[in-house]
Amino acid sequence: MTEKSSEEQLLEFLYACPVGLIECDLAGDIGLMNPHAMQHLLPLAGPRDASNLFAAFEQHAPELRSLAATYTPATGKICDGHRIFVDLGRGRRTQAPTVLACTIVKLGPDRLMVTLSDISHQVVQEERLRQADTWFATLLDGVNAYASLALTSDGQIASAGACFTHQTGHDNAAVVGRHLADILANDGTGGDLQLNEQLEIAGRDGWHLQEGWQNRADGERYWCQRLVVARSDGDGLEPTGYSVVLREVPRREAAAEDMRRLLTCDHLTGASNRRHFANVMEREHAHWRELRQSLSLIVLDLDHFKAVNDTYGHPAGDALLCKVVTACAGLLPPRGIFARLGGEEFGALLPRHDQDQALALAEQMREAIAALHINTQHGALTATASLGIATLDEAGGSIDTLIKLADERLYAAKNAGRNQVYRPQACAA
Amino acid sequence: MKEASFEAVTLSALEAMSVEELDALPYGALGFGPDTIVQRYNATEARMSGLDPSTVVGVPFFDAVAQCMNNFMVAQRFVDEPQLDEIVPYLLTLRMRPTKVRLRLLADPGMPRHYILIER
Repeated sequence: MTEKSSEEQLLEFLYACPVGLIECDLAGDIGLMNPHAMQHLLPLAGPRDASNLFAAFEQHAPELRSLAATYTPATGKICDGHRIFVDLGRGRRTQAPTVLACTIVKLGPDRLMVTLSDISHQVVQEERLRQADTWFATLLDGVNAYASLALTSDGQIASAGACFTHQTGHDNAAVVGRHLADILANDGTGGDLQLNEQLEIAGRDGWHLQEGWQNRADGERYWCQRLVVARSDGDGLEPTGYSVVLREVPRREAAAEDMRRLLTCDHLTGASNRRHFANVMEREHAHWRELRQSLSLIVLDLDHFKAVNDTYGHPAGDALLCKVVTACAGLLPPRGIFARLGGEEFGALLPRHDQDQALALAEQMREAIAALHINTQHGALTATASLGIATLDEAGGSIDTLIKLADERLYAAKNAGRNQVYRPQACAA
Repeated sequence: MKEASFEAVTLSALEAMSVEELDALPYGALGFGPDTIVQRYNATEARMSGLDPSTVVGVPFFDAVAQCMNNFMVAQRFVDEPQLDEIVPYLLTLRMRPTKVRLRLLADPGMPRHYILIER
């Protein structure tokens, strides 16, 4: 046996290193990377160029490019443990990581060192700890400040304490036998989960906690934490009932609001981010299953955006993206959300919108984008977009099919000459 | 040698090859058991990756040698599909440089080993 050369030792070390290591230039072109980095990058890149860091992340973390571009010091840490939420689709959810942490260090004028690691488990644990913290705080802070109830497995109130009367204004004896969801009904316009949705999650995960507005019997609104815990007799998996704790708390302050914005919004444009969009889509999907109200999706892609960046520069391209978001988000219906899904790709989710309404809104968005005008040092910048829409009914209730259908129609709009909304009936005619 | 080409060679032909024959192939070839432990690692692949076969054989392939293939595009397919013969374009990190390659994934329930062929 000969001694291993130091080069071989180094290679073995890099091949086996359980953290992704990447060296690239400021444009993102990768010079060196270890296999662990490629393991994460390749599935994310899809048909995009996996040998360029920013191209590979265009879909899931378009902000990396602008973070690196706007970092002015000659050397230093551009971001540290920046979280990237990855969603590769339902079928791949079990094995693939869902959260990556990315650290970028600028080593010189044209040299970046990047690390990637999978922190999915850590994020799940953090979430649990945060919930547990709030849960214990709910029980320990002021024994009289919460109302607790017992529900049967179908949401009927089995018993309610005197505190329930005190907090909600509903007589605790009179509500027994009624559905809690009827008594705590709210207007449903916010993003909060309905009680039946909370029961469903608690049935699956053991418990669920949310904060939101709640109405008292006299109509007064108050900010409330609502904890639902599933009870079971130990034998079956199905819960035999639920415990619900309602706790009036001060409205969350600016810091919490900042944190929420950070977690749900796209860094550059302020539109919802991909992760938040996916969460809302799941929630609206649950509504659809129960209520069968229409749900439509618009996907929108700016035409020739690469040429915009090449001709006018990335800052002008970024300004355009921001204007697109302002223009389109202003057109949304009450529960609709507008999200940045990737570089120049956006999505609008439209609860209670059928195909005709969604088509009309898509057409408004197209017009609004075509009317945008940005003055740059290279002349006036205008833009157009291609749009595709689909409804969950057409997709047979499958979110994956809904996205696929809308995507296909977006590309049909591109192929038909861009600056248009693809019209399904046009192809049927 | 046409029947030993990257596209045409069969799993049983690879199994039947001696170490010398496997080493003589113009593309990388490696065989591993159901536990992903590497059992065969030819000289061509050793040259491309820069790894000595003696340090690779006996090691779990996707966990320690080829983490870049440890995703749903390669590793998961060997778990999901007992019968597999497919060529996929891929990007490897040979000596830490992104390198475009073609992979051929081979598995057969009647065979003791799975194979991955790598053509640069």
